[in-house]
Amino acid sequence: MMQLTWQQTKKAKSFITHFLLGLWALVCLFPIYWVLITSFKLPIAVFQGPKYFPWIDFKPTLDAWNFLLTGSTSAAVYRSWANSAILATSSAAIAVIIGAMAGYALTRFRFYWRGLKWKNNDIAFFIISQRMLPAVVVILPYLIMFNFLKLIDTHLGMILAYTVFNLPFAVWILRDFFAGLPVDLEESALIDGANRFQAFRSIVLPLAAPGLIATFLFCLVFTWNDYLFALMLTFSKASTLPMFIAGEGTQSYGPQWWYLSALSLLSIAPMILISLLVERFIRRGLVVGAIK
Amino acid sequence: MGGSAPRMLTVEETPTTKKDRAASYAFLMPTVILILILSIFPLFFSLGLSFMSWDLSRLEGGVRFIGLQNFATLFSDGRFWNDAKNTVYFVGGAVALQYFLGLGLALLLNQEIHFRRFFRVIFLMPMMLTPAAVGYLGRMLFNESMGPINDIIKHLGLPVVPWLSNSRMAMPTLILLDTWEWVPFITIVLLAGLQSLPPEVFESATVDGANDWQILRYIMFPMLAPVSITVILIRALEAFKLFDIVVVMTGGGPGTATETVTMYAYTVGMRSGNLGYASTIAYSLLVMVIVFSMIFLNSLRGRAAAAEG
Repeated sequence: MMQLTWQQTKKAKSFITHFLLGLWALVCLFPIYWVLITSFKLPIAVFQGPKYFPWIDFKPTLDAWNFLLTGSTSAAVYRSWANSAILATSSAAIAVIIGAMAGYALTRFRFYWRGLKWKNNDIAFFIISQRMLPAVVVILPYLIMFNFLKLIDTHLGMILAYTVFNLPFAVWILRDFFAGLPVDLEESALIDGANRFQAFRSIVLPLAAPGLIATFLFCLVFTWNDYLFALMLTFSKASTLPMFIAGEGTQSYGPQWWYLSALSLLSIAPMILISLLVERFIRRGLVVGAIK
Repeated sequence: MGGSAPRMLTVEETPTTKKDRAASYAFLMPTVILILILSIFPLFFSLGLSFMSWDLSRLEGGVRFIGLQNFATLFSDGRFWNDAKNTVYFVGGAVALQYFLGLGLALLLNQEIHFRRFFRVIFLMPMMLTPAAVGYLGRMLFNESMGPINDIIKHLGLPVVPWLSNSRMAMPTLILLDTWEWVPFITIVLLAGLQSLPPEVFESATVDGANDWQILRYIMFPMLAPVSITVILIRALEAFKLFDIVVVMTGGGPGTATETVTMYAYTVGMRSGNLGYASTIAYSLLVMVIVFSMIFLNSLRGRAAAAEG
């Protein structure tokens, strides 16, 4: 009898747990579902009040997508998408390479800076603290510096800005990752006559591939999603997708939900794909270990 | 060592690292140099700017040292204090809500559940999405006449909510949207924290007759404290910078009910072209962030010391 009631409470608990989890999954997915169906709506299906199910309470069309991909703004859409992709991939790649070197150095060598009595941990903390400060504090001087160096609204300027923005995160994560890698292999390579760079390139980097990929993906997401840097340092040639999205909505004719939904999906869809990839790395505790 | 030339950064000379000194510089220096040029230098530049009148709208004679005048302006600037209040309100509301929701979800995910992978992937998604697009999502969903949220509320027979048009409601709405996007971050970190706790502790507490609530309140919660502090701090520091989702969802409105400090610095710097005063505003945000971190960490340290003593 005791056994049975215990079984019953366990079952009830499990039911409540799954119910709550399901509810939150719905909360997570509904907005994404909404932007997806809205991109297939005609203006009338938007203005008549909310319509939830394609084919049942509204007739889906490709009008918004047609306009987005072939209409009068399509050239600007492609350009900002390409800019976002170029800036995000290149700055993430550079941040990962440079960050991997620093992360490696901070785990394999012992530094000591007499001026401030800083050791490795202090240097690492100094680097990550750069990520904590409000970006607007450095962007205002960038405006003047970039203006002076003719880097405003250029890919090079934006790649530099984003690389420095991502670098502290990359160093922090990768330092933790290298700390968990065994040193035996690289040491035997060093004894066999390889120099540090050879050992780093041919032994350490391949071993660290999962960490490098995960860090690259996170930096890619941060850059792809940025709005503030792009808003303040670009205006046309190097402007990005979030700028285009925000710009379209402040038009005087008011937001056109169907068109903006399709546009938002261009920005969101790649991130949804990446979140499927990234989840695996988070499960390994990679990122979380570094936060502690 | 008195006669040796002072070195900026030295590598401690142990047998294994002696020959590596050149390599160790080469590995670390690219990062250090980039950060010095593009992070530390701008930080001082910005501080300098905050004592200047640097007006982009005037080509000549636009740059002038004006001492503390920008700071005097700041203190009597009602719009700045309004925005500072908004920012603090947002940080407090958003981080508190996100922490408890995130803790709840982490506890649920930490049970024996079916479809674990599915839930984890779905729960992670919102934080990966472009904030500018999330701002739009919020604008559509919370739209009072065409949005689904008020429609669903109406169907449930409840009174509709003026999510975005009421100046008292706009900030809570913004907090809800930000919570949707950022609860995932707190959830994954706390979940990893929970999974790293030793299971024996909970087993022995159960044997001793502790119920679930007691285990949570007196064992798990204190053991999670270090992870909680870190995750709250990271989230709060990010929340202070709030910009993109507000710009798109409310544009700071109604009026200035949801305008943040970063938005004001942007408006002053880019729209009015007054880079000196914009830097003063930006620096005040930096000071807010630093003061918050110090108070937060000190009060926790004090409490931890009191608990031990």
